[in-house]
Amino acid sequence: MAAGRFTLAVSPHLHQKGQTIERGMTDVLIALTPAGIVAMIVFGMNAFYVMLVSVLTACLTEVVMRWVLGRKHTLRDLSAVLTGVLFAFLLPATTPLWVVAVGAFLAVGVAKELFGGLGRNIFNPALFARVALMVSPLWLYITKFPRPFFYRTVGFFTPVSVAINNEVAGRVVYRGLFGSVYPDVVTAATPLSLLKSGKMLATTISGPTPVGSTWVTVAGRPTFWAQFLGVHSGSLGEVSVLALAIGACWLLYRRTIDWRIPAGIFGAFLLVTLVTWNYPVFSLLGGGLWLGAFFMATDWVTSPMTRRGKWIYGVGIGLTIALIRLWSPLPEGVAIAILQWNVLTLLIDRYVAEPRFGEVGRSWLNRLPPYPKPGKAEPDKPVPAN
Amino acid sequence: MGWAQRMKRALFTRGGVHPEPRKVSSIMKIFPGPNPEQVIIPLSQHIGAPCEPVVEIGDEVLVGQKIGDSAEYVSAPVHSSVSGEVTGIKKYPHPGGHDMLAIQITSDHLDRPSPDLQPVAEPLELAPGEIRVRVREGGIVGMGGAGFPTHVKLDTPADKSIEVMIVNGAECEPYLTGDYRVMLENSEQVLMGAKIAQRALGADRIVVGVEHVFPDVIRVMREAGGPFGIEVVSLPCRYPQGAEKSLIKSIAGREVPTGGLPRDVGASVSNVQTCYAVYDLFYNGRPLTDRVLTVAGDGIAGTANLRVKIGTTVSDVIDYCGGMVGEPGKVILGGPMMGVAQYTTGVPVIKTTSGIIVLRADTMLVEEPGHFTCIRCGRCVKRCPMNLMPYQMASYADIGDWDALERFDLEECMECGCCAYICPTKNPLVQLIKVGKDGLARRRRKMDSLVGTGDGRG
Repeated sequence: MAAGRFTLAVSPHLHQKGQTIERGMTDVLIALTPAGIVAMIVFGMNAFYVMLVSVLTACLTEVVMRWVLGRKHTLRDLSAVLTGVLFAFLLPATTPLWVVAVGAFLAVGVAKELFGGLGRNIFNPALFARVALMVSPLWLYITKFPRPFFYRTVGFFTPVSVAINNEVAGRVVYRGLFGSVYPDVVTAATPLSLLKSGKMLATTISGPTPVGSTWVTVAGRPTFWAQFLGVHSGSLGEVSVLALAIGACWLLYRRTIDWRIPAGIFGAFLLVTLVTWNYPVFSLLGGGLWLGAFFMATDWVTSPMTRRGKWIYGVGIGLTIALIRLWSPLPEGVAIAILQWNVLTLLIDRYVAEPRFGEVGRSWLNRLPPYPKPGKAEPDKPVPAN
Repeated sequence: MGWAQRMKRALFTRGGVHPEPRKVSSIMKIFPGPNPEQVIIPLSQHIGAPCEPVVEIGDEVLVGQKIGDSAEYVSAPVHSSVSGEVTGIKKYPHPGGHDMLAIQITSDHLDRPSPDLQPVAEPLELAPGEIRVRVREGGIVGMGGAGFPTHVKLDTPADKSIEVMIVNGAECEPYLTGDYRVMLENSEQVLMGAKIAQRALGADRIVVGVEHVFPDVIRVMREAGGPFGIEVVSLPCRYPQGAEKSLIKSIAGREVPTGGLPRDVGASVSNVQTCYAVYDLFYNGRPLTDRVLTVAGDGIAGTANLRVKIGTTVSDVIDYCGGMVGEPGKVILGGPMMGVAQYTTGVPVIKTTSGIIVLRADTMLVEEPGHFTCIRCGRCVKRCPMNLMPYQMASYADIGDWDALERFDLEECMECGCCAYICPTKNPLVQLIKVGKDGLARRRRKMDSLVGTGDGRG
């Protein structure tokens, strides 16, 4: 046999088939499908348009940005599609579509590609874009949540009128480009903004949904079943706990996500809410906690790698959410809490190691010698003469 | 598997992977190997000092005659596996990748046995020291893959005591079935060899570990070992179950300390075929001149378990099995997870060769991933049986940051390949870790030569 005919490679010579990035992203998309369907039922075609524009912009941004940066496009790994869907899930259904496009560009173009593409991004792209819009002048467009089953379509260029002062009636006037007035959008407070504004027991909500029905209690807040099935106002993806739970089960079954992060988030959050007795069930079912815990915080790229790190990260997010909801003016804090801990992920991975196999005296932190400090190096010893 | 068990596995297991077993050769009896024209017997088939040749070109040698030996303690002599004439002592290809000094013997096809070593009447009556001397003379090394000289392993230091001697029947690599067939066909011989080794070790008991997917072997070994009080433990089936430290963890529930040896936790692990070689040496008077290996893969015509003479070239074995099929892709000595891909089939089978896997060029490649950057999915960390951080070690080795690399226990990595197997971006993690190990070793040598403190840390 002649030499040089065989392929040389370092072991292992077998690789697992089927477990690719595309497969992982597809699993998350499958898991998000029930929530997407619920969003389209509750908010109508608006939800569909928002998702469509978000996904298309995300893909287009990825192609253009990678072309500008001189890299090969990676649409194949479906991460742009997933970012688009996740970003759409964080928006109210009445968001003007150009705002959606701006946000999707921020998510993929800035939070992902400018950091170096998938795998190098520090922040969860969808959450980054959402919070970036929140602190920008566009915040008005994404903080007015329509009432469920309000099916009036909102167009691409519908700018919201600056004077949103008719909050009392729960109505927002959208005004067209040349002064044409679009029909009102009937908004409603999200469950958590009710909680924050202390209106849990007031009957301030009036509108098409009859008070005292299956969906709204006499006190005016959504019932347990409304929160569980998703018939209340909120952003697209967060409304239905049931749909998100179904998706979470799929992700856990497929081992796409690690259970330690959601367990830490829910455990810590529930503990604080129970101790302070701040409507534990109500706040557990509301405000994107499920979306954040199962789909945002478990993002591969921006969560820690080790089991210990995952516990620290999960518990940290849970506590931060509870702190924000209890003692800050913001109604909900899932997005900001996850973004904060995304940054800390780098630190966690740097200092928290797995316990080595057979390590004597299990240590919590990485006890290995630190990096040598510049300037503290030992002086060169003279080479011994022979 | 029920859904509850599946869920439990998904949530709580740590370390190891489940490659597709592909053990089609498990139904095939051990068959005698080829009778080659020439054998090439490398002088270094083990960990430790290589041997010096004790024969010269033109000498007549017999089967089992010692042809190479070393004065070092951590070394094992090599013996001729055929009778014939020594026709060359020079560098030949070696399965390790580098050319190594080896002895070429042209066979006369008579297989006349050497009278040097004779069977022992009552091996279990021998003193432990005498057993070790004979094991060394027989050239027996660990046949699972590492090739550590067995007489060194059987030498228990005075301050340590061995409680359990583990016979490693967990053949966790895909394709390989040699140990399985040896246990099935020669169960009594394996256990008698283990008894001899136990006497040399001074171990209290013998435990055989077999993966639970081989109930026939478990039954046969229990029948054979019952009268001797030998336990047979059924192990979970996952790669790398057969790795020394994982096996001790599974059977004795103890973790070998970092940088330690199995004897530190009172255990000693020997491969099934090593035990068989010990039996063969003491009861038949034959040193280690042949071994059972599996020939398999989709690139070869015949799949078989063969008892091959050490020194037979791989091309002889492949021709014996009907030759290659299709365009040849890889020839791997050992299992597909830890074996070494060869550049030529002129390499000989040595004492640690557990299989010859031939893969076809068109089927060996996996689908190319759409993404090559590490996406920090954490699977390598989750699956590492030694609980290391493969992605960090690999990335620091990639950029050559040796200072940072010192922080990780690179020496603990046994290169089992779980991380590279599971990686969704198909990053060559094992290759990069090898680069890191090599870089650290070079750095240490350089610092030693510059500073001369000896411990390499300046």
